[in-house]
Amino acid sequence: MSFISWQYLLFLPCIFILYWTLSGRKRLLLLLAASYWFYAGWDVRFLALVLSTTVIDFLCGLSLDGKRTAPVTALLLSLTPAAWTGVCYLFLPAAGISPGVMGLAAALGLIFFGIHESLWAFAGEGRRRGFLILSICFCLAILAFFKYFGFFVQSARTLLETAGLHTDPVLLKIILPVGISFYTFQSLGYVIDIYRGVAPACRSFVTFAAFDAFFPQMVSGPIERGQQLIPQLEADHSFKPSYLQDGLSMILVGFFKKVFVADNCAVLANYAFDPATHLNGYWAVLGVVAFAFQIYGDFSGYTDMARGSAKLLGIDLVENFRFPYLAQNPSDFWSRWHISLSNWFRDYLYIPLGGNRGGRWQTLRNLGVTMLLAGLWHGASWIFVLWGAYHGALLIAYRFPPLNLLSGRDDRFSWRSWLALPLMWVFILVGWAMFRSADLPQLGSWFGALGHWQAALDLPWKSSCLWLLLHTVPLILLQLLTLKYRDETGVRHLPWPVKGTVYLLLLLLVVSSSEQDKEFIYFQF
Amino acid sequence: MKKLITPAFLMVVVILALAELTARVFFAQDISGRFAYGYDPQAGFAEQQDGTVKLFRAGGRRFHPQSFKRQCPPDTYRIFVVGDSVPRGPSFKTAYPWFLGVALQQQQHFRVESINLALPGYGARRCQVVLQKALEFEPSLIIMHVNDTNKWEDEREWRRSQEFQGWHPSHWLMKVFIFRRLYEAKLEKVFWPLVPDQIRLKHAVSDADAQVAASKDPEEIAARIRLARETMVENVALVRRHQVPLLLISQCRLEKDDGQPPQLTDHGLDAMCAALTGPGVYHLSMREVFNGPDFASYFADSGHLKSQGHQLLAEAISRKILGERANFGLPGVKVAAGQ
Repeated sequence: MSFISWQYLLFLPCIFILYWTLSGRKRLLLLLAASYWFYAGWDVRFLALVLSTTVIDFLCGLSLDGKRTAPVTALLLSLTPAAWTGVCYLFLPAAGISPGVMGLAAALGLIFFGIHESLWAFAGEGRRRGFLILSICFCLAILAFFKYFGFFVQSARTLLETAGLHTDPVLLKIILPVGISFYTFQSLGYVIDIYRGVAPACRSFVTFAAFDAFFPQMVSGPIERGQQLIPQLEADHSFKPSYLQDGLSMILVGFFKKVFVADNCAVLANYAFDPATHLNGYWAVLGVVAFAFQIYGDFSGYTDMARGSAKLLGIDLVENFRFPYLAQNPSDFWSRWHISLSNWFRDYLYIPLGGNRGGRWQTLRNLGVTMLLAGLWHGASWIFVLWGAYHGALLIAYRFPPLNLLSGRDDRFSWRSWLALPLMWVFILVGWAMFRSADLPQLGSWFGALGHWQAALDLPWKSSCLWLLLHTVPLILLQLLTLKYRDETGVRHLPWPVKGTVYLLLLLLVVSSSEQDKEFIYFQF
Repeated sequence: MKKLITPAFLMVVVILALAELTARVFFAQDISGRFAYGYDPQAGFAEQQDGTVKLFRAGGRRFHPQSFKRQCPPDTYRIFVVGDSVPRGPSFKTAYPWFLGVALQQQQHFRVESINLALPGYGARRCQVVLQKALEFEPSLIIMHVNDTNKWEDEREWRRSQEFQGWHPSHWLMKVFIFRRLYEAKLEKVFWPLVPDQIRLKHAVSDADAQVAASKDPEEIAARIRLARETMVENVALVRRHQVPLLLISQCRLEKDDGQPPQLTDHGLDAMCAALTGPGVYHLSMREVFNGPDFASYFADSGHLKSQGHQLLAEAISRKILGERANFGLPGVKVAAGQ
């Protein structure tokens, strides 16, 4: 189910009313059922993967905390994903689950159960480390298979064929489950936090399952931490009018960013980055600027809707975007763009690798590795690896002269900002050109087009420029209005007449572009 | 409850409610037939108590404002021109129905009423709805401008009109008139003019894009011609039943292939119209009218005419009517000049 579908616009009010009508465990059960229903709207089969991640990390989390689950309970939980495939096989034949898949799910459940139980034979730190490795291996194996298997097989094949070795094509076509990278990372972060002793394990399976699959943020983030979200899910809080007011305000801003800004900018970006399009310099620039606003509106709009939906239920999700295009250097950019992912990589990869505690070269290596993997997280393609490497290189370059002179996180506008902002904007755009290109040859064409400024292309670019301006200027004005609150959905802090006027304008702009359901870009990650 | 409704929320709701109410109360006539998408038989026709019929822009029917008496006055030759954006023209007084009225009036000593009932985007099906209405107003001659470009729009609007009658949640938003109007205004006044056809074609998900795609698909073109033919057969039968002369004007298009000189093509409409002629039904081919050395200069684009083009076509129609005055039922009673 997508946030911008009519189904969600019926689903959310129903959940809102039921949620505040119920209390305690019933409320959690409602959240869990709603979250699974929400996810099943895309593909009911992949609930088995969600369940797998949930069961693995729930059991490993408890074990890391020194609490042993009764073997029968652990066995039953381990077989839950297989049971779900069985339900699909018996009652949902359209899902296409075969007995082989059921058998595989059951076998994996039994293997996990076997390893999990045998780890209890060890003691002390070794056992704890064992549970951590078990969780990481199983979760990453699921992620790797569904997201990266095809990519690595294809890459290996290309490499072998380049070396003159004949290979048979692998005919395995794997569908990428929606949001797999998000919920896997959230779940892994939870286990690592328990291992580090910074968070306790969740004792209730229902609570943990609701945390793992919380519908507002499950498929595209923000990636939450257990210690931040689980207590909020468990708290039996009562309704406050501000939940409704703030939630609706955030959702409206999110709708505006997605429907008015992103989807309309996509019209130009999709054309410019179509492999069949012959670009000139004007269209190369126009296309990448359009894409910059598209991806920002799309992803930050989703985040705003997610935060607004959670707020309606009295739950605060972490901030994921803070005016990223006002970043003055790469480090500043990553502290404003997809903040929850940046923090995840910082806390669970960069710092464990040594962070900036070692020498300069070690820091640079850590930065490079982290950004390469961050790139790969976005998609199974060399183009994303290149994009990650590019941002890694930028982070490194800004540590050396002359670019380090532009570093600094000073939010005030100074002489430096006049140089730093436009330069960073250019770097960001080049990054988006990589991100949006389907492959390296297309990226090459994009760069090549920057050398051709003759109006050879008979497509009018000036009117398209006007189209882009019409859909980005309102966003820029909105951001200027909320900048002082350091919150992209800060419209709700404005005086009521201004707020009312802004709401009305946003609503009308959304309606003017309310064409039809369109998917969010980050669902593919 | 009091805390739930904030002043800002109230302000938005009140403004929207007032705007909607105002639109529905004070502009009720303007929005009549809005959700029938051109299939409302009455939209755009205001029949007043004194017997005057006023044409106005309503429900997506963008008639040029005109008025006439419900009953055709004696000694008056009343022509209704039914068609799409081509006969509607760049403006009321630069379209061929107007020029035709002037031309006939100059030549004859009876009163001529040439009423432009053409509507942009209207294909054969929706033109039929307008034709049925026109036949209620005692026409002396019906001119049908036959084109094949708008089948896709006809079908889309029919589908929309049917869907809108239900209460599916996906239509709730657009049940609000001001929202609907805003959406359409953006589509027509911003999206279409600013975004080039090629991009809309690649963007092929929205109505506008699908329309562009349809206009370039050979199967779609063939289907359009079939539908135009079927509907035209019905129209001819309808007009014949009312014993009103009918003149079919078959559209031609200016087509330019890369590196080739422009050509006039009729998409088979000439043959189709010629096949429909018979007692009371006549035909004039635009391709024959414009088949001169400088034909491209009469066209504003591939299908629409410039003012000179409209004038040329009006003169040709006038010659045709005057040349076959008995067939077209021109009145024999003369009235004093200047009346």
